[in-house]
Amino acid sequence: MQIDRRIIYLFVAIGTILPIIFVIGLPVSITPPVQMAFDRIENQLQKGDIALVSFDYGPSSAPENAPMADAILRHCFSKGIKVVVIALYPLGGLSEAVNEVNKVVAEFPELKYGVDYVNLGYKDGAQAAMKKMAENIHEVFPTDVNGTPLDELPIMKNIRTYRDMKLVVSLATGIIGEWWANLVNAQFGIPVIVGPTAVSAPKYYAYLEAKQMAGLLGGLKGASEYERLVVNSYPKLAEVYATPGLYTATKGMDVQSIVHLIMIAFIVFGNIVYFTSKRKPRKAS
Amino acid sequence: MLSFLYKDNPFFRLAESFFAGLSLGYYIGIVMNQTLKPNLVLPLIHDFQANWHLVFAAGLGVILYFRYIKRVAWVSRWALAVYVGYYVGVNMMQKLHGEVIPQVGDTMLSLSYHGIGTLWNLVMVIGVLSVLIYFYFSTEHKGVIGGISRIGIWFLMISFGAAFGYTVMGRVSLLIGRMVFLVNEWARPLIGLIT
Repeated sequence: MQIDRRIIYLFVAIGTILPIIFVIGLPVSITPPVQMAFDRIENQLQKGDIALVSFDYGPSSAPENAPMADAILRHCFSKGIKVVVIALYPLGGLSEAVNEVNKVVAEFPELKYGVDYVNLGYKDGAQAAMKKMAENIHEVFPTDVNGTPLDELPIMKNIRTYRDMKLVVSLATGIIGEWWANLVNAQFGIPVIVGPTAVSAPKYYAYLEAKQMAGLLGGLKGASEYERLVVNSYPKLAEVYATPGLYTATKGMDVQSIVHLIMIAFIVFGNIVYFTSKRKPRKAS
Repeated sequence: MLSFLYKDNPFFRLAESFFAGLSLGYYIGIVMNQTLKPNLVLPLIHDFQANWHLVFAAGLGVILYFRYIKRVAWVSRWALAVYVGYYVGVNMMQKLHGEVIPQVGDTMLSLSYHGIGTLWNLVMVIGVLSVLIYFYFSTEHKGVIGGISRIGIWFLMISFGAAFGYTVMGRVSLLIGRMVFLVNEWARPLIGLIT
């Protein structure tokens, strides 16, 4: 029995569009890797500590990585953690950094650029930049994204190397997240949290188990779990996440669940048809 | 682009060509503006005396393109050798220090009984050893070796299945991103739907 694959596409399209329009609100369960990441920021970083957030993704994986970035930034700003933003991904990392930082900062009007957060922009040669930042960040990023020398920015006055920071968060697609774990954490000891895309996530579990990472946000599921944790700890952010029309990982997971159910239904249906069609010739004999 | 799901059509071909051309053009622009200009052109222009060594790096880059000229294509192998040698040097310590040693250390787990954790440690050790034996091809996979490598295959299949599940989720996430754009930023303003 052959089903035109366009029927499958139609079911998946309906299963994707309807939950976007009619939000279901399915529960989100928290997994240990995401809890570890949240606990690292919530319990081990204090107000005024510095976190480096590296935008190592571009628009091609923004549906997965952007909600992670938003959740991490909202968590850091709610806790009073100062954030240094960089971008190491060449194809749109900088534009994603600018867009997400501007979007989240608008929700915290009390924050001051250059004091509470700074965007240092994009630097080419990810591994080389990571190694050089262990010696002197000011040589890697002489100015911020607006061209202001780092010496004129209060937040950067006492930041020279990884030793002056408490945490690195990399929101990554591809291999750059691995370099934070197996180069920066291995050689310089700074805790690293990585938010990879779902395609890359399985390989990061090895680093997490070997304690080379302090937490892992795997794909859209990881982002939705982190959003849940942040909303539970900071009820003020619940209003932000309830904004109509705002794309969040939690809403995206509703769609994921429906589409996965559709796929499972088709797989089960296909197997039923396969086994019943196999049985028919035996009955005839 | 999504019209291809129905069938191939000229609009899809046009969009595909635009996408390929724009992507390539964007990448060339990125490389020129964010790699060559700040790291090569501007340092040489502003302070040649302090940055003269960059001329050699630029030269190596140009030499790589000699492979398109048949008579001097062999010269490009020297530049490639420098490139490969540099990355082997950088990555060797990184791989050893950042991957091999920590991962080997993490596999050395206690197998003495201390509750349910021992079971997981046992699974980990059996999994790693059986998979490593599966990939040992210097001996035929028969008898004991064959049996252990079969266990390794099961571990590999289970891990591939988990990775495939994650991949499916990743691809659906990207579909969700595009559908959210179409629904929230295109269809809703057109139709005036209110949530």
